[in-house]
Amino acid sequence: MIPQSALELQDIQGNIVKAYGRYGFPRARYVFYRVDDARKGRKFVENVAPLVTTSVPWSGAGVDIPDVAVNIAFTYEGLWHLDVPEETLHGFPDEFSMGMKARRDILGDIGPNHYTRWDPIWTDKAHPFRQHVHILIGINGKEEDQLEAMYQRICCILGESDGVELLTGHRGPGGAEDLAYQPAIAADSDKEHFGYSDGISSPYFEGCGESPRYILGGGKPTGQDPTKPEGWAPLAAGEFILGQPDESGAYSEAPGPPLFARNGTYMVYRKLHQNVGTFNALLAEEGRKYSGGPEEFAAKLSGRWRNGAPLPLYPTGAEADKFASELVAAEAKARSASATKQDKDEFERLRLKLTAYDYTDDNDGAKCPFGAHTRRMNPRSALEFGVKGAFDSPGALSNRRRILRRGLPYGHVSDPTRDDGDHGVVMMILNADLSRQFEFVQQQWTNYGNDFRLGNDQDPLLGNHGINVNGRGTGRMLIEGDGKTRVPYFCGGMPTLVETRGGDYFFIPSMTCLRMIAMGVVDPT
Amino acid sequence: MPNQSNNAYALTTLCPILPGVPDDLPPEISHMNGQTHSACIRYLLQDVFRVSVNSPMAKVPNTYLSRFYILQDVPYQGHPAILEHLKSEYLVFSSNFHGDLEPYLEGMWANVKPEIQALLPHCWGSENVRDSASFIAYIRKCQIETTFFFVGSTDEPLDVQLKSLYLKQEFSKFVFENQGKSKEEIQRAFAEFERRTQPVNTDAPTWVAGAYSLDTVVKGAGE
Repeated sequence: MIPQSALELQDIQGNIVKAYGRYGFPRARYVFYRVDDARKGRKFVENVAPLVTTSVPWSGAGVDIPDVAVNIAFTYEGLWHLDVPEETLHGFPDEFSMGMKARRDILGDIGPNHYTRWDPIWTDKAHPFRQHVHILIGINGKEEDQLEAMYQRICCILGESDGVELLTGHRGPGGAEDLAYQPAIAADSDKEHFGYSDGISSPYFEGCGESPRYILGGGKPTGQDPTKPEGWAPLAAGEFILGQPDESGAYSEAPGPPLFARNGTYMVYRKLHQNVGTFNALLAEEGRKYSGGPEEFAAKLSGRWRNGAPLPLYPTGAEADKFASELVAAEAKARSASATKQDKDEFERLRLKLTAYDYTDDNDGAKCPFGAHTRRMNPRSALEFGVKGAFDSPGALSNRRRILRRGLPYGHVSDPTRDDGDHGVVMMILNADLSRQFEFVQQQWTNYGNDFRLGNDQDPLLGNHGINVNGRGTGRMLIEGDGKTRVPYFCGGMPTLVETRGGDYFFIPSMTCLRMIAMGVVDPT
Repeated sequence: MPNQSNNAYALTTLCPILPGVPDDLPPEISHMNGQTHSACIRYLLQDVFRVSVNSPMAKVPNTYLSRFYILQDVPYQGHPAILEHLKSEYLVFSSNFHGDLEPYLEGMWANVKPEIQALLPHCWGSENVRDSASFIAYIRKCQIETTFFFVGSTDEPLDVQLKSLYLKQEFSKFVFENQGKSKEEIQRAFAEFERRTQPVNTDAPTWVAGAYSLDTVVKGAGE
């Protein structure tokens, strides 16, 4: 039985509510197209539409998890080239119509992140500044042959529409510059290339149809016990889905007619290269000086130990390691054929430790630094700075800055001492308001520190730290002391660890809107 | 006194701008020939004086913050409000600084005289401005009461504040460079730090007025 939901999940594309990785889909291909003939482009969209995966839950009887999931999204230029009416297009917010290149100053896409260094696919040689990627199709799946089968199926559909071009130009291993799609794979379970477990927590919103246990740490803080469900409430669906009321009780800015935007959302696609050699050198160098050693230093950068254990609950490496091994053992037990109810409950109890916490007992940053990546990206109630009742609600300054992360690592690290090579993360960020959510987080919380009382310090892992006249990184991070035995540690001269290699802003339409685009019946009048 | 808050002074000056077009123009703005006095002032402020990212006002001692702009007219709020106009356009000069008005304006005449002499010929009644005393008299005539203002600064003279900023930056560098060393090493390094930075000498070394940063930092290459 499909659980009751306030949302029309059959009308909402599946990647909005589902982090496919959680359903055992470790692989993906991202394929991009340019439309030169609107009629043929719409025909292509019409033929792809029936393959698109919706948000209908995969749990429960009668619902099978498919082999692959397919989703489709469009840039502003793409919608224009598919003959979506001008009046509808003018209803899009400026940041979406401008596209990611034009927002580079806000996003910190300068220096090593500048679009002149991106994968060739993002550059139309005649007009390097313009968006010429129009359509994104994402294929997620379990096995490579299943991905290949779906990819070939879509290629066959494309074969019938010669006014649409599959864009090549993704960089790949061995100096490849012209891959036909961007492959992505979480090869080593859930680790990204710096060795951190990733994708642990995700916003939980009203009617999303996901398991209610994800509300712990995924919802918005209520001020009650963060280890209990009453410590959290679901975020308003309108933070992530257009045509639904958001946290302020309003609809996000979206084009008309209302049916066009309803159940759709915006997606940021960002290919982020990871400077693995620089990261490892930083850990080694700082790990020698920092009293906790390299592994603890890595945890302080992130806010989680590389095994996923959150610093506020597990401030020492010994505690984190013990937790991680208990979790692995409990999971094996709970998933075995002979698992008892107690086994399952124990696994559940431990798994919740990964997300069901806040920073109430860490108001001096002694366990998790204020500048740590995860504390910046999802501050929970930490922006109260220990003043209970500082605002109307404990998450007043963060509830409207939440983003859904959908994405996977790409490439393989063959030499952990080098930065070059083809490895990083394909980040996909979904939200109802690009400016208020993604761009704010990127500008204020990633590339600035004032909200965390850290001046202009940046996110140690994601910040574009810049270089001084000698070519040395200028990033800084303060690892707070504990006021007793451990003194503060000041990490300076930090290099940029992650660089943008491409991307753009996309609109993910509802199934209804997708059909309207295909039929050419969008009517804003 | 509404123009002052402790040692901070907030000056607000409205200099009426001459109507029409100037007869002859100095060479640096000769291409503005045929343009209004107001347009010439704007061009001077927006381009000629902007020789670098820093304002010429950085040269005037004790300036916390200063601003020049042109007040063209009062905005019309729409029917049924009455449509009103100012008698002329005004060059608004406002400055927050440390100390009293007269010594500040003397410092201004001494340090940015060429800029003053370029601007004022476009304003009413400025033909008698020839020296520091007549400049002060002119500004006093154009001054209006500031009433409310916000002092975004401590109450110290500017050189003390700039030295403090300098020391804060240098000390932060000192911490990054010396953390983890032995007591003796830190003490030695700190003695050297004191010798180099001369904490009580406000003349030098110090932060340059108007500078955004102590270091020359290249924030990324690219565009």
